[in-house]
Amino acid sequence: MEETNFVLLWKEQYEKIDQSLAINKQLLKEIISQKAESALQSLIRLKAIGIAALVIYLIFLGIVLFYAITHYSSAANYFIISIGIIFLINLKALFDYIKHLVWTNEINYDGSVTEIQQRLSKLQLSILQHSRTMVLQFPFWTTFYLSDAWFPHSIGWGYIIFQLLITGSFTFLAYWLYKNQTIENVDKKWLKTLLQGSGGKSVMKALVFYKELEAFKQG
Amino acid sequence: MGLLDKTDLFLSVIETHKGIIYKVANSYCKDTDDRKDLVQEIILQLWKSFDNYNEQYKHSTWIYRIALNVAISFYRKENRRKEISHPYSEGLFNLTDIQENTEIEKHASFLQQFINDLKELDKALMLLYLEEKSHKEMSAIMGISETNVATKIGRIKIILKQKFSQITT
Repeated sequence: MEETNFVLLWKEQYEKIDQSLAINKQLLKEIISQKAESALQSLIRLKAIGIAALVIYLIFLGIVLFYAITHYSSAANYFIISIGIIFLINLKALFDYIKHLVWTNEINYDGSVTEIQQRLSKLQLSILQHSRTMVLQFPFWTTFYLSDAWFPHSIGWGYIIFQLLITGSFTFLAYWLYKNQTIENVDKKWLKTLLQGSGGKSVMKALVFYKELEAFKQG
Repeated sequence: MGLLDKTDLFLSVIETHKGIIYKVANSYCKDTDDRKDLVQEIILQLWKSFDNYNEQYKHSTWIYRIALNVAISFYRKENRRKEISHPYSEGLFNLTDIQENTEIEKHASFLQQFINDLKELDKALMLLYLEEKSHKEMSAIMGISETNVATKIGRIKIILKQKFSQITT
């Protein structure tokens, strides 16, 4: 088929359509007078369960932390510091989550296709950043139950070594996951498995598209 | 500009370029209901960015950019689309049924099908090519160099030719 024929065929395809295409002006007016529900409202409602769960969790941590601080004793130092850091990490995660949700929906589509799509894909891939932040709390889940009253002076070396091993391995795991949960590694099986639980399918789709986009720009 | 003037101007721009929106939606959405949603989403996004329309570009360029960006994002948010549907059951476009009679019309239909099967970005580029946009305009809409535009169109046309040769043999 000659190349010019593609254009002719396309014209043929749409010639009749162009003639018979009528726009529903009433509906158009309704849409632009904001009667249509905004996508952002819908999306926030859709994600509301996740957001509500995180907020409830933060309130719980906040109450516990508030109680520990107002009834302060040095025995609660490990608890206050550990829960305080866990609280801050989750607060940041919630903030980032909502921020990305809003950004995704408020993005102005009036830009070149590659630029806007790259921005959108990156926002979709921000779940990786979210996940990286969350792993930082791992080590603190191994220290909140310790107390100045008995640790480390009232216990044997065996327990101290055990505690160091537990906290050390969780610290290493958090560091390793933080370092390796990147766009570059998302093809790896372990990361795919990890992301499956948190909307991984759409992340993988975003990633495939992101790579296509990079290749497209390269030529 | 008053709200009424703005609305009238917007309606007239959409009326003039309704074909662009229809063609983009038709190429990115096979399902009729999804297509209605996509058209409404495109119109909504066009309206939202109408205030910031940059007169440096033609209306058609502005519409292509937004329509293609919305369509590509919409296509990728398949799950979200099922859950967030616009409330209107009727479509913005009314189209009388069109019969495919001639050999040319059948080929035209194949072309549409092959275009629909392209990857999202290639599809966007090919739509612009078929609408006889200049390489400069395609470059502005897609955000890639004119040389890149030419190379990619050449490659896509080879693929389309191969597909056509398969159905004719």
